[in-house]
Amino acid sequence: MTSQSVKVGQLTFKNPVLTASGCFGYGLEFDDFFDVATLGGICTKGLSLLPRPGNAPDRICETPAGMLNAIGLANVGVEAFCTEKLPTLRERGVTVIANIFATSIDDFVTLAKRLDCETGIAAVELNVSCPNVTHGGIEFGRDPKMAAQVTAAVRAATKLPVWVKMSPEAGDLVGVARACEAEGADAITAINTIRGMVIDVDKMRPKLKNRTGGLSGPALRPIAVRMVYDLVGALKIPVVGIGGISSARDALEFLLAGAKAVQIGTASFKDPEAGRRIAEGIAAYCAKHEVSVEELIGKARVEG
Amino acid sequence: MPSLEKSHPSRSLITVPLLRRESIGESYHVLWFDMPEGAPAKPGQFTMIRGQEWGDAPLLPRPMSYLSGGTTPSMLVKVQGEGTIRMGRAEPGEPFMLLGPLGNGWRAHDPTKRQVLVAGGVGIAPLIFLARELVAQGQRPVLLYGGRTARDLPLADDAIELCDLEIATEDGSRGLPGRVTDLLTKWLSSNVEVFTCGPDRMMAAVAQKCALTKIPCEVSLEAPMACGFGICLGCAIPTAGGGYLYACSEGPCLDAERIDWDRSAGLLATASKGGVK
Repeated sequence: MTSQSVKVGQLTFKNPVLTASGCFGYGLEFDDFFDVATLGGICTKGLSLLPRPGNAPDRICETPAGMLNAIGLANVGVEAFCTEKLPTLRERGVTVIANIFATSIDDFVTLAKRLDCETGIAAVELNVSCPNVTHGGIEFGRDPKMAAQVTAAVRAATKLPVWVKMSPEAGDLVGVARACEAEGADAITAINTIRGMVIDVDKMRPKLKNRTGGLSGPALRPIAVRMVYDLVGALKIPVVGIGGISSARDALEFLLAGAKAVQIGTASFKDPEAGRRIAEGIAAYCAKHEVSVEELIGKARVEG
Repeated sequence: MPSLEKSHPSRSLITVPLLRRESIGESYHVLWFDMPEGAPAKPGQFTMIRGQEWGDAPLLPRPMSYLSGGTTPSMLVKVQGEGTIRMGRAEPGEPFMLLGPLGNGWRAHDPTKRQVLVAGGVGIAPLIFLARELVAQGQRPVLLYGGRTARDLPLADDAIELCDLEIATEDGSRGLPGRVTDLLTKWLSSNVEVFTCGPDRMMAAVAQKCALTKIPCEVSLEAPMACGFGICLGCAIPTAGGGYLYACSEGPCLDAERIDWDRSAGLLATASKGGVK
């Protein structure tokens, strides 16, 4: 087998396949299906300082080749994660990226400091792009100045690599990403969901109680590939690609566009073994073409 | 490598061929699968099912209660949308991905009591499965079965062999004209326990009648879900005392008293029309 390992900044992953925040729980739920330690890594469900119950139902609905979700960042809170989930992940050798969410810069800093006390976390990923909460979330990710402030504050608060997860709704995506890069972000994750709405024509009201929800799934993929391509061309720091990946070929699009690694989201819902299957598919592709994953990265980029 | 304590050690994702499909009227089908491997399902558990050849749309698997378990499990499908339309057209041999068995089945019955099963429409499936198990253990359950019309009572005739069957239809085309909850009243006594599955409004009404008379009531929940095993957090159900539980992992079968029926999806509009009370 050709080398499957990839470097994202200072971090080395055994393969380029990570699972996306919100689509893989805290990792342990997948233990019935395959050994999650064989993945490049996992991104946790977005962690907040205190547990959050999430939004009122209905929270999800299916759309053409995709789905809307407005979960509202339901999670166990950072403390329960550190004491109840992380020790097992650490023991199992799972590479963990802690996705964090807060409504203020101070809370982002507190979260980062709390996670800095733990071993077994490879990086923190800042969710400045959640479309489904009233405060925080996407507000930080739309505006280059605010994104820069959050990044700078977290950067100063932790020794861990800091990844920032982009919203496709930022008017100036490259501007937001560059602002984060300038403040010491180690990598950019792109993209989060984009808001959509479905109306129930029988009930004559939006299907989701939250009215809007984040669109994910294959329908999103061409938009995500384009944005990753643009970001890779504009940034010096690595980009981690995400958006509608459900097969190895989908993942390869992002790697060929220049992403250093990929994240698998909605695909894990329809197939809990999607991450493992995609990692194996990439390895098979590399073997067939006699290349390492690193040699593939950015190979589809066109000069000029 | 240290192993995790597994809460559901037996669930798995298996691709299996459709063995047989039987149509019931225009809107219902029973699908049987050939599944020599994998853990057998218990009554009340469910599977996430998706045609292997569906491509990217419909995207998500469909949660379906088991109608029967064993090595040729079956599901009762009501044609409602894109996924169930495809299931209703599937031919033997077509591959399906089944993730299961998932969730908690019905709680153990109390052998000192009579079991009263209350079904609405396609909600009959997990109750027939339960009835078969009860009969095997020497019980003779009562089945109260409601639908809008006689056409909305799939498997009613199968149930006659297993249960004492009483039917109510809203248009009066079979059984008592009215709602299934109208049939329930005379059965409510201290020597019965109730198991129910059907539309939210029906289950809310059953749960309320049982709560008033302090009769144990177990419900099988339905909610939109993408994964079926606690990841997507789509299937939130408001709980008594605030917060939510997840139908996939804490249900689908559980004690009706755990649920805040007033805050549950779809119920507010009904309550304002007096439908629940």
